[in-house]
Amino acid sequence: MQERDALLKKKVQDSVEQIPRDKLELLDPIIEKYQGSTSYLIPALKEAQEMFGYLPMEVQRKLSKGLNIPAPHIYGVVTFYSFFTITPRGRHTIRLCLGTACYVKGAKEMLEIIVREIGINVGETSKDGRFTLEAVRCLGACGLAPVMMIGEDTHGNIIPSATLGIIEGYQ
Amino acid sequence: MVTLTIDGTKVTVKKGSSILEAAQQAGIRIPTLCHDKRLIPYGSCRLCIVEVTSRGRTRTMPSCFNPAREGMEVATNTPSLRESRRLQLMLLLRSHPLQCPGCDAGGDCELQNLVFEYEVPELNFGRQSRYFHLDNDSHFIRFNMNLCIRCGMCVRICEEVQGQSELSFVNRGIESEVSTDFDRPLDCEFCGQCASICPVGAISSKWLVGTGRRFELKDTSTVCAFCSLGCSLSLGEKDQKTVYVSSPPESPNQGSLCVKGRYGWPIVYSENRLSVPLIRKNGSLVESTWEEAVQSVARGFSSVKDKSGPDSLAVLGSQRLTNEEAYILGKFTRTILGTNNLDHAAGIGYLSLTKGLAPILGYAASTNSIREIRGSSAVLLLGADLTETHPVAKNEVILASSRMKAKVIVVDSIKTKLTDRDGIFLKVPPGFEDLVVNSMLKFIIDEGLFDRASLDLRVDGFESLSASLESYSPESIASYLDVDPEMIKKAATFFAKAEKGVIILAEGLNKSRDSIALSKAATNLALITGNIGKESCGVYVFGEKANAQGAIDMGLLPDSLPGNQSLSDEATRSKFENLWNCQLPVNPGMKAEDLFKAAEEGKVKGLYVVAENFIDNYPNRKQLERALGKLEFLVVQDMFMSSTAKMADVVLPVAAPYEKSGTFTSAERRVQLLNPSSKKKIGKTDLEIFSILANLMGNPELASQSCSEIMDEIASVVPMYAGISYDRIGSDGLTWPCVDPEDSGSPVLYEGGFPLGKARLVPADPPRIIPENQGYYRLIPTITKFHSGSFSEWSPSLMEVCPGRFAEMNGKDMSTLGVNEGDLVKVSGNSDNSLELTVKESRRALLGTILVPYHFSENRLNLFSDWGSVEILVSVEKASK
Ligand code: SF4
Ligand code: SF4
Ligand code: SF4
Ligand code: FES
Ligand code: FES
Repeated sequence: MQERDALLKKKVQDSVEQIPRDKLELLDPIIEKYQGSTSYLIPALKEAQEMFGYLPMEVQRKLSKGLNIPAPHIYGVVTFYSFFTITPRGRHTIRLCLGTACYVKGAKEMLEIIVREIGINVGETSKDGRFTLEAVRCLGACGLAPVMMIGEDTHGNIIPSATLGIIEGYQ
Repeated sequence: MVTLTIDGTKVTVKKGSSILEAAQQAGIRIPTLCHDKRLIPYGSCRLCIVEVTSRGRTRTMPSCFNPAREGMEVATNTPSLRESRRLQLMLLLRSHPLQCPGCDAGGDCELQNLVFEYEVPELNFGRQSRYFHLDNDSHFIRFNMNLCIRCGMCVRICEEVQGQSELSFVNRGIESEVSTDFDRPLDCEFCGQCASICPVGAISSKWLVGTGRRFELKDTSTVCAFCSLGCSLSLGEKDQKTVYVSSPPESPNQGSLCVKGRYGWPIVYSENRLSVPLIRKNGSLVESTWEEAVQSVARGFSSVKDKSGPDSLAVLGSQRLTNEEAYILGKFTRTILGTNNLDHAAGIGYLSLTKGLAPILGYAASTNSIREIRGSSAVLLLGADLTETHPVAKNEVILASSRMKAKVIVVDSIKTKLTDRDGIFLKVPPGFEDLVVNSMLKFIIDEGLFDRASLDLRVDGFESLSASLESYSPESIASYLDVDPEMIKKAATFFAKAEKGVIILAEGLNKSRDSIALSKAATNLALITGNIGKESCGVYVFGEKANAQGAIDMGLLPDSLPGNQSLSDEATRSKFENLWNCQLPVNPGMKAEDLFKAAEEGKVKGLYVVAENFIDNYPNRKQLERALGKLEFLVVQDMFMSSTAKMADVVLPVAAPYEKSGTFTSAERRVQLLNPSSKKKIGKTDLEIFSILANLMGNPELASQSCSEIMDEIASVVPMYAGISYDRIGSDGLTWPCVDPEDSGSPVLYEGGFPLGKARLVPADPPRIIPENQGYYRLIPTITKFHSGSFSEWSPSLMEVCPGRFAEMNGKDMSTLGVNEGDLVKVSGNSDNSLELTVKESRRALLGTILVPYHFSENRLNLFSDWGSVEILVSVEKASK
């Protein structure tokens, strides 16, 4: 499983362009609203994510300064809740199961294909904004291994070489 | 008090103590992996479980956060507890890589020690390895999160004690680890507290990697050489060279250090250390022998003295000398040179103690011990940016603020980091803090918020103080300062109503004007609110350098003899004359400022400078340079070729503080022992040089004593040191006043009354005029936590983390000037002086101010300052490339 963890642990790429400085000013009302009450960090983050779709470094830094909450603390909260994301979300979320059963039955190859062909690793979003890739640890459908969910659809018993075909079906 | 039985031993402890603390008091060890006495108990490792029987029921519980209760029977080491601990350790090992042979924590790892102690057998679980982040890019500290056992102590100490919150748990579940935001390298205080508290090798000192392991090092205990808080250090040496510095957990500072204490020590091994004496020949300094150098010093001083009289000589000492050295230097100056022209710290840095606190209360020293600050319920910081000037004392304010819910009232010209805590921030132009304090006094008196009972009994001068405050109403002061009068009233009310109030000032050569008015106002305030003579109350003045208190106590002063005893007092003089077997010069000497004026006029011709770099650090550089030009003979004794040493006729190289014996007296009056780390040293100690010179100049007895004999002599003439001797000091030091050999010292002054009978409130002067700034910026010379005077410029490690040449400005001012972070700005003063600095955006800088650290000699910041100047007005513009 070392190999799997190494694959998963690859650093998040700086795949998307930065949010320009003047756009960050959109955060000012949120900061104004929650200033001085550090316990409302989560609502503030939720509103910020609704505004930008995700919470990249610049947004977190700005909130940190504005709300006077240490940046590591904000990052800790953002990475704790799966609701928050630090990369933009694609239109479709691919959830690839990397549980043991799926992994041995071909999920590894599937991951490699996605990394190579779609150009995204786990936690990243494709440049065209179509896909976000997530890894999950067992979807509870090991009988169908390897399993991949795209949006609400579950695909099972996938032959790795068919991966791309399935994904291409989503625009 | 509650009494309980632990493993058959009866223990009585304070109510509220944990079972763990009770066991520790009884000398019984319970293993822990997530507990430290500086932290709030967390309860995650469960290694500290014990069996507790009370009212006939036996339960197992963690001892670190369960309180000891009356009549409890506690068992700490039963077979089932051992079995449970063994299982827990096995679970921890499951995901902990077994790299012990190559890990620099080997032998100093709590996990490894416990695995050994509990005889953990072969692992019967599958091993699980996961990949976490490594960081080798941060200064001084490296992270290997694969070794982390998730005890959370690093995150907690960084937040709870340092108030920094640089670390956090990130990600969730089995992927959680300790990191910064986006895994960036550290950008923090670099105190190294996280590395020192980590029970395993996950966070550690970079310099230890491949260098040495803790158990191989020979430890020497000594005192930090940088600021005046006197933190205990343990210098770990391998092959006669320090490689690691830590602080024992049982030290007064509880093992906490700041970046200078923990990582500043490579200064000792700086390649710029002077090792050979230098003599000026044909205009340039050339290497010479000790013999030749000391001969020429003795001859030089004697000839000036013979030709122009003793008062044409002058001596500048330093807050970096040990007590023994300072005492002997004073004796040398007054008896052999025959003058009282003796001063240090620009003649400014000690005045708030000698001319502020002492006349009112009795002693020229802070009233309480540092560790008491954490117990106070209001902290008033007057121009004291402790985060930068005295970081370990800042920790105390953090503790008071978070655990006692103390209000932190900051009166400053900088929006310091401590303004983030719950409290009040009152901005003032640099050096005008006293206006706010007097206004608070006025409000407290008018509203009857003061402590009448204790005033009547213990304090004189209330009426005249009250009358002198006429023009200090919060309304008028507030409009003058452009703040809200309600804030002054609120601050006054908080402070007056607080059960225990602490007032803190900080001194430093970044100020070119004394803080006498401020320290008087602060002391008046402490007195009328009943905050003197009690625990966790009082007035603190933190001096700048390691032996700031000792330099006062040992009389490196133009008008006082050791013990801050007045030179003009007949009886005192004859006491010293008898002891020193001499005739003391009667007239008070010149203070630093006058001494340079006199030199400029050709009246002072010979100057002996010991461990002071006045050319870079005293006010008015132009004048200092003119004065130097006129001097006939300048001797500089230093570790490094400072700007002052470059101008000298003779330069004598001296040993580093970590290479010598002696004592320092910390800002809490604690006299502590210095021990040399190894036999090897560079140059001679200051004391050795004084003794050689005394010998050559005809008084061999003067300095033939050892350090401990000198301390005995000090004890015989300085009343508050009377009970202090080397064999009594021990590892914790002794706090003065310590009046006889039975006295264990007095952390709290004036508990039993005042030496003068009653304390004497002093009237306030009328409010000073704040100069207009007319579109100019106010330049504020600052102190940064990474430096100490200009001394630390020679520490390669401190220069690595903070190389200088920067200025902090407010973001709004930067947009007005059209500069961005990292651009160069040109700062120009009123004469032809100007300076280019890289600008940093900083929330510390208020509008219209520019903050420049004063430590860096290449900035020549004292071109902008003058003796007694309050404000430095400059124009700032974008520098043309
Ligand atoms: S060095 Fe000090 S401030 Fe920096 S992360 Fe460690 S504990 Fe926190
Ligand atoms: S890094 Fe060390 S101190 Fe921090 S949580 Fe891990 S084991 Fe504990
Ligand atoms: S706080 Fe002062 S005495 Fe303590 S380690 Fe830092 S510089 Fe040294
Ligand atoms: S391992 Fe993939 S569904 Fe269980
Ligand atoms: S020390 Fe008590 S739970 Fe860790």
